[in-house]
Amino acid sequence: MGFGLGLGSEEYDRIYRDRDLVRRIVSYFVDHKLQMSVVIIFLTLTSFVNSLSPLLSREAINELESTRDWSYLLLLILLTFTLNGFGWIFNYFRQRNSSLVIGDVVLKLRQDVNAAVLNHDLSFYDKYPTGKIVSRINTDSQDFGQTAELSMQLISSFLIVFVVLGVLLTINIPLTITVLGMVPFIFIIALAFRKVARKRTLEGQRALATVNSFVQETVSGISIAKTFRQEQKLYNKFNGVNEQSYRANLRRAYVFNFVFPALSIVQGIALVLIMWIGGEGALGGQLKAGDFYLFLQSLWLFFFPLLSIASFWPSFQAGLAASERIFALVDTPPTVLQDEDLVLEKIRGKIEFMNLGFSYVVSADVLDRGKQDILPEIARAKVFSNFSLKINSGESLAIVGHTGAGKSSLAKLLARFYEFQDGDITIDGISIRNFNLKFYRKHIGIIPQTPFLWADTLENNIKYSKPSATKEEVLWALEQAGGADWVDDLPNGLETNIRERGTLLSMGQRQLVVFARTLLENPSILILDEATASVDPFTETRIQEALEKTIKGRTSIIIAHRLWTVRHVDRIIVLDHGKIVEEGNHDELIQLKGHYAKLYDTYFRHQSLEYIEKAKEFVTTVKEGN
Amino acid sequence: MATGTRVQNHKMEFTAKEDPFGDIRSKGAKRWIIAHIFHGTNKFFVLIIFFGTILTSILNSALMVIIGVAIDEFMAGMGDRLFQYVVVIFIIGVGSPFLNLVNNLLRETLAQRMERDTRQEFYTNLLGKSQSFHDQQKIGDIMARTTNDVRMLNFLISPALSLIFESFSALVIPILFIFLFYPTELLLAPLVFTVLFVITLRSYIRKLGPVAARLRGEFGQMNAILNETLSGIEVVKGSSNEEYESKKYLKNAQLFRNAFVEQGYIMARYLPLLLIAFAVTFGLGHAIFLNLQGVPSMEIGQIIAYVGLLGNLRFPTFISIWVFSIVRLAISGSERLLEVMNTESDIDENIQGRTAEIVGGISFRNVTFSYPGSSQPVLHNIGFEVQPGQTVAIVGTTGAGKTTLTKLISRLYDVIEGQVLIDGVDVKDYHLESLRSQISYIEQDVFLFSSSVFENISFGKTGSIDQVIKVAKEAQAHDFISKFPKGYYTEVGERGVQLSGGERQRVAIARAFLADPKILILDDSTSAIDSETEDKIQYAISNILKGRTTFLITHRLSQIRWADLILVMKRGTIIAQGTHEELIKTSEEYRKIFVKRFDLREEQLLKEMGVT
Repeated sequence: MGFGLGLGSEEYDRIYRDRDLVRRIVSYFVDHKLQMSVVIIFLTLTSFVNSLSPLLSREAINELESTRDWSYLLLLILLTFTLNGFGWIFNYFRQRNSSLVIGDVVLKLRQDVNAAVLNHDLSFYDKYPTGKIVSRINTDSQDFGQTAELSMQLISSFLIVFVVLGVLLTINIPLTITVLGMVPFIFIIALAFRKVARKRTLEGQRALATVNSFVQETVSGISIAKTFRQEQKLYNKFNGVNEQSYRANLRRAYVFNFVFPALSIVQGIALVLIMWIGGEGALGGQLKAGDFYLFLQSLWLFFFPLLSIASFWPSFQAGLAASERIFALVDTPPTVLQDEDLVLEKIRGKIEFMNLGFSYVVSADVLDRGKQDILPEIARAKVFSNFSLKINSGESLAIVGHTGAGKSSLAKLLARFYEFQDGDITIDGISIRNFNLKFYRKHIGIIPQTPFLWADTLENNIKYSKPSATKEEVLWALEQAGGADWVDDLPNGLETNIRERGTLLSMGQRQLVVFARTLLENPSILILDEATASVDPFTETRIQEALEKTIKGRTSIIIAHRLWTVRHVDRIIVLDHGKIVEEGNHDELIQLKGHYAKLYDTYFRHQSLEYIEKAKEFVTTVKEGN
Repeated sequence: MATGTRVQNHKMEFTAKEDPFGDIRSKGAKRWIIAHIFHGTNKFFVLIIFFGTILTSILNSALMVIIGVAIDEFMAGMGDRLFQYVVVIFIIGVGSPFLNLVNNLLRETLAQRMERDTRQEFYTNLLGKSQSFHDQQKIGDIMARTTNDVRMLNFLISPALSLIFESFSALVIPILFIFLFYPTELLLAPLVFTVLFVITLRSYIRKLGPVAARLRGEFGQMNAILNETLSGIEVVKGSSNEEYESKKYLKNAQLFRNAFVEQGYIMARYLPLLLIAFAVTFGLGHAIFLNLQGVPSMEIGQIIAYVGLLGNLRFPTFISIWVFSIVRLAISGSERLLEVMNTESDIDENIQGRTAEIVGGISFRNVTFSYPGSSQPVLHNIGFEVQPGQTVAIVGTTGAGKTTLTKLISRLYDVIEGQVLIDGVDVKDYHLESLRSQISYIEQDVFLFSSSVFENISFGKTGSIDQVIKVAKEAQAHDFISKFPKGYYTEVGERGVQLSGGERQRVAIARAFLADPKILILDDSTSAIDSETEDKIQYAISNILKGRTTFLITHRLSQIRWADLILVMKRGTIIAQGTHEELIKTSEEYRKIFVKRFDLREEQLLKEMGVT
């Protein structure tokens, strides 16, 4: 029951060697030198205390066998008490500091991966579902943190092993060798599980990310499910995805659970050998009771960290797998890379497209611009090839054309949302690859086709590009964008939280807000990707007026989906399959009687009274026909 | 399998066939968790795990006792039974891991089952919630609940539950052995320890509670913020606000980190660690003291075994730090799940309701509506009548309540006052399934699922590929779909990026065609520039009006012009209604639409339209 939602990896996934992963992880901890030193010092101290305790007990037991000095025994006991007290205090400081370090490291990791993700261009987001990325940033870093915490605790147990081992060697060599002889078996078992464990873990995490993604999508589209009454269908589909995650994670869990018993068997055998060899030794008189005690105790001390590693192996592997997934995200290079970091006083707004070549590349090769030429040339749908266009400073230009002609692509390239492959785009004579991206985008105002708003107050939404704006400025922007009267109908006016994606507002209102947002930004270059969704005629007129005011004095590119808009612009280009087929102002193009004139005619035919009256036949014949 | 009882205390728009936990959900997180643990065959798993754990513990303690006896014999120079001891130790030492394995596998199965079942329950519940509920949720937070909070319940079983069993037996059994095989006074150390342990552990768990709740809460918040940012990435980039978004995320990640560190501080202060060290030392001293007193059963080997048994208490002490933080997190996670599941949903499935086929007459009677959580009415006193098969056009300024009005028909929301009737029956009296399956909705912002075009079209009603092609043709969508590389099996991207607005709308029209509803609501807002597309959309829309009652929210004057009934809305009220001929004469507002569009003076318009 795959449901086509397989557990495949993402294209940006990479395989790292454990060594590289560990080195990378360690580098995060190095940033907290001071705290780490505290952790290490107290870790060592705690381990010493923990390994000294059994030694003192052994001394006491041996003392019982010999002189049985009461005061000496009391001293030993009191010493153990004190030692334990210190042990607790040491551990207290260790735990506090390690929590701090891990908290900070996970925070840094999240910050890094979040920054890396935000740096990616839109081709990345077109390809990978948001739900999966979110899961990677938050859930995987969480797994990583858990592992780091366990690892720290394990290091302390390991230190004990070495201290104990040193002492053991001075007491009885054959027994020590017996204990040591078990170590290779432990490692062989642990390593044998490693590969399969890692694989299963990755599968498990991916299955979970798929669930995440599924939930995200269906909750986003819940109103469709409701209106079509398709809850049962989603429910069944969800069961499939959920079941898939169940199986993948169960397989993973099963694999891990063979490790622990396997290692326990090794421990059992070690115990048997110690009893046997130690028993012989004791019978022969070479081994004292206290030593026997120490060996039995140290077997526990010795195996505990190893068994812990084994039983925490799932988490440990999960942590490594998680860090692998995170680093893959961090390491994927963004395609939109700036060559220089220019910041100008001002952008005048002269735009030139020079022999531009562009295609939405559909495979992993998009991830690395540098590799473009070494990759085999795959036939790709070119959106533009050899496209040239000059726009003067302050000019208003409208682009019209059929769906798929490349209108929006042109705007997106100019906004630096996608990387182009050939030619160049310059602004004021400077390649847009040479600007500081932040500076550059600040000067370009983009009104996207679909209005996106935040779950925040209306005021903050308008101020999004200019947080310093005053309330007066916000109201001014709204007024410019066709009037602010509708704001009074909201429960709390400007302070109303308009919910995720602005769902509290009507579609038309959302467009007005986005318009106001851009006006407030006051950009040198305005790109208006007209919404395909139209607003009612009243609002339309208001926006129209606002637009006419806005395009004065700044370079404006209007991707027109409605010809209503274009009559007042300086120049219109008609785009067809990435080529300019006509160019001129409204009157010239009408004169030309070409594509534009035809478009305009038909458009106005649809808008004309005559058409509307005639539509009766159209509507009614269809309605009553057959 | 247990047969489920339908939820009685909650209104739901959708319920699974079985919902055995419906009643328990309102009774708190702990009871809900317990009900899940003991649900169906799960309880056998729990029992086996419990007894298996006890058995392992007995074996481990017995091993210590046997070793103690053996050492005493060796020390006394008696070696005849050496081989027997070795064999016994071997059997126990190697046998108990096998027992362990069986236990572990059962535990894992139970843990994964818990995760799967609770997640399914939660998701089913989400599906059952009304639209007004979903409007108020943040998707990222819901996601955090469905994946991460649910996962806490997995951790609760594996490892927490079995570790609790182990801790319990590792606490009780050594004490039992000490009681059985050693002088009674040696119980002093372990018993005093146990009492103190329980007391300190309780206070530890109590302190963890609020921190765990914060950890889960902050995680949800962090997820919500990130999800929103990534959904609006185009705006973020366009405004060059990556840094701001980064900071916003960081602020939340910082809050999460603070909660995490605080949890660490509480763990650091965990007192039982000190207690156990003292207890073992005290026990050793006590045993030595008894040995010095010459108590007969306290040979050196016995001391070693006794201290070994006391050492077994270390395990529950150590592990509890961790186990109970998992338990707390699982409880906090469950509380977050229940918080959502127990939120009162306002619309019910109404299984007993009317299921008759709808003819299509609709009337609104004095309808007033405001969105939940807001006192500002969006619709006031709406009233109109529609005959079956009529086309109703709704016009008005943005935010006038046009879309809201149509949502009351399919009960995406319920009216506050007044009634909405279909064929003379209040919509509330219909079986929700029956009602909604006869109403289709083509929304303004067409949402497509990231699956194939075929699946998207057949979303409302399963259809064969031939049927899908047929409806796509009627919706004028066939041409562009067949141009896609994989035709009808082309995947539509998550954000529907590959389709233009007009194309998406036609896919939605095809979807509605296939569903063949009695009532259709078409929130039409696309405006295509090129004639071809425009004609196609017009044609598709006209096509779908046939034989059903249709509500059109549209700005296409040609559609408005010929509607059977036109509702002119302004600020939540209907200011005029009637046919075009009537309204053009009587309604100033209605005339304005045409005046504005054609840049005409009113007299001219009336003249052109042949109205005198």
